[in-house]
Amino acid sequence: MVAIAIAAATLAALLAGCGSSSPEPVARSIRTIGAHPDITVEEVTGGHLSVQQEAAIAMERTKNPGPGGDLQPLHAEDFVKPVAEYRRYSEREAKAVQRHVESLQGDIAAGDVGAAKRDWLDAYDHYLRLGAAYGALGTLDEQIDGNSGRLPDGVHDPDFTGLHRIEMGLWTGEPTAGLRSPAAYLARRVAHLQVAVRRIAISPLTYATRAHEILEDAQRDMLSGVDAPWSGAGLRATVDSLAATEFVVRTLKPLLNGRGSTVEPVENELARFRAVVDSVRREHGGAWPALGALTQCQRERVDGSLGALLQRLDDVPGALEVKRTKPYPTIAEQRRERQ
Amino acid sequence: MSEIDRRSFLKRAGGVGLGGIAAGYGLGAATTANASESEAEMAGRVNAAELADRRDFDGVHQAGILTPAASFATFLALDSICGGRAELMGALQTISSRARELTRGGAFPVEEYDAPPADSGTLGPVIAPDGLTVTIAFGASLFDGRYGLAARKPAHLTAMSAFPHDDLDPARTGGDVLLQIAAGHQDTVAHAVRELARPVRAELAPRWTMAGAVGAQRGPSPHSSRRNHFGFRDGTSDPDVTDPKVMDRLVWAERGGAEPAWTADGTYQVVRTIRMHVEFWDRVGLHEQEEMIGRKRDTGAPLGGTGEFENPRFDLDPRGERIALDAHIRLANPREPATIDQRILRRAWNYSQGLDPAGQLDVGLLFVAFNQNIQRQFTAIQERLNNEPMIDYVTPEGGGYFFAPAAARHPSDWVGSPLFA
Repeated sequence: MVAIAIAAATLAALLAGCGSSSPEPVARSIRTIGAHPDITVEEVTGGHLSVQQEAAIAMERTKNPGPGGDLQPLHAEDFVKPVAEYRRYSEREAKAVQRHVESLQGDIAAGDVGAAKRDWLDAYDHYLRLGAAYGALGTLDEQIDGNSGRLPDGVHDPDFTGLHRIEMGLWTGEPTAGLRSPAAYLARRVAHLQVAVRRIAISPLTYATRAHEILEDAQRDMLSGVDAPWSGAGLRATVDSLAATEFVVRTLKPLLNGRGSTVEPVENELARFRAVVDSVRREHGGAWPALGALTQCQRERVDGSLGALLQRLDDVPGALEVKRTKPYPTIAEQRRERQ
Repeated sequence: MSEIDRRSFLKRAGGVGLGGIAAGYGLGAATTANASESEAEMAGRVNAAELADRRDFDGVHQAGILTPAASFATFLALDSICGGRAELMGALQTISSRARELTRGGAFPVEEYDAPPADSGTLGPVIAPDGLTVTIAFGASLFDGRYGLAARKPAHLTAMSAFPHDDLDPARTGGDVLLQIAAGHQDTVAHAVRELARPVRAELAPRWTMAGAVGAQRGPSPHSSRRNHFGFRDGTSDPDVTDPKVMDRLVWAERGGAEPAWTADGTYQVVRTIRMHVEFWDRVGLHEQEEMIGRKRDTGAPLGGTGEFENPRFDLDPRGERIALDAHIRLANPREPATIDQRILRRAWNYSQGLDPAGQLDVGLLFVAFNQNIQRQFTAIQERLNNEPMIDYVTPEGGGYFFAPAAARHPSDWVGSPLFA
């Protein structure tokens, strides 16, 4: 037990470290100010600029964009290729969801709980890797991936169905006979997924925002244990969202290149988060641990590196705007207009 | 004190809960212990100015409704575990009686030196009123079959059902009785929570509790609304509580019609604990934040306006060029003739309760709406807000619908007595 703890601590210190095991700061961070991703200023701590000086620089850039200042808006056509690439990717993922749900249905019919759990996790993985699409799937998303909290009678609600209804059954030892009908329903819904994914309208803004928000949702709903409470698959689910984000960022990279200094810090943080989750997985013998099995140190490393990544991804939509922010009229101006 | 003495004392103290009108501890009556008496007098002088504000417990309407939001509030939802109606009546009488004493303040008696003291003592030997209000309300579950109250349920009272983006935790939702306990300082509230729960342990079991606070008054005017965890001012467009006609139209239960007579001078209370995902919010550009809300963050003025209380003039902006058509303030209160009767009296406290399992701050808004008809007002507003852009940054996690009846009319009356008459 002690040996395991020491080994874990050593690995942790190698990568990022936690608490008292890492007295040295990992790296000096670079900060981006406001909506101007091209302005990076060294952190005040240990740097040579005061907070006031930083603020003054940022204000000056805001007033006089000039060369190297505010970015020219992109054209909507610039997004055609990235979105098309993403669409092909998500169709592949949708097909994989369908395949695993079919196996899941077979496992449940055969009463094989172990196989059913494995297929459930695979189906869930591929569904989450759709990432950029699920916000646009509306009712179909609720039918496949809906939680009980939004329903009047919670887990007892007749509308509680889909993946999480089956998850509850499999991980609480419910007899598989009772899961046949939810599995059949899920299979019928998932059959529509590929076509639905193909037809989704994705605006440039939505696509750029997804680069940031897929992982925001993962942090809010998956790492908190809200979304997959019975299987405890929150970490694994977060890594699926990471995969989706990596894909979206990869398709957007040609657009981001040359637009301020967004790409490199985003890629660095993506790689760092990937390295942290991989090391946690290794520490658990190569399998994704349930959320509850993470040590405090592992949790802190995962939460912290995801937080740092999100703070970077936040710059992506701002760097890819297709129109300038228009100043809105004042009440007085609108009143005059009316007269 | 021998074991037998101790038991007999406890028996006396325990009897208090069922003793009805005379159930109080005699707070404010002369104390006995001589040493603490002079200390009590001194304490009274020191805190007199800051803590002297006193809100009457008895009257027509309960305190804590039209009262401006006190700095601190705790909600304590209780489930009745009473075996019968008489026991429930006794417990409710006790709550009123204790609440009356606490809101009045004074010294408490020290009866037997060996016995557990009658008061926790967390406020010292003299309890200062500190603007304490205790507002008592009943949930729909109290009107089930247990106490023969089903036929007397207020016309618009239901259990709170989930809206599409809610993630309600049943353990933090609903309750038979709700106490809203509010005062000028946190210790006054915490003390009252403890003292109100103590005499009714055998009758009313705590179901959930949440504590919140409003920000300090940081101006620019003494009327400026305080800020929530998103940094925006909260409660700017509340109806005028000093206008009885408006309150009769929006807050107090309708007379006659479907409402049972006992509901007169009461109001429906909606409580929602709304988690705010502040780390996510802090990654949103200011322009987008203001667009979602429809107001400037610094002044609280509607976009394109200059002062917090300026009319946002949606009529001049039908296409949403100034204030987006799905901005929070526009959906919440469109200021159209058809929505005048949907307005609610809003109260809000900010809460902070540690971290969630993902290491994120578990903070949010304890939202309260007092209204005449939940379906006509709160629900109608909420349905408009279902798909507002801000919904990504918040998760309603608990709360409930309650009915806060009229105040106790006089010191020997109790809140809820007409329900049992």
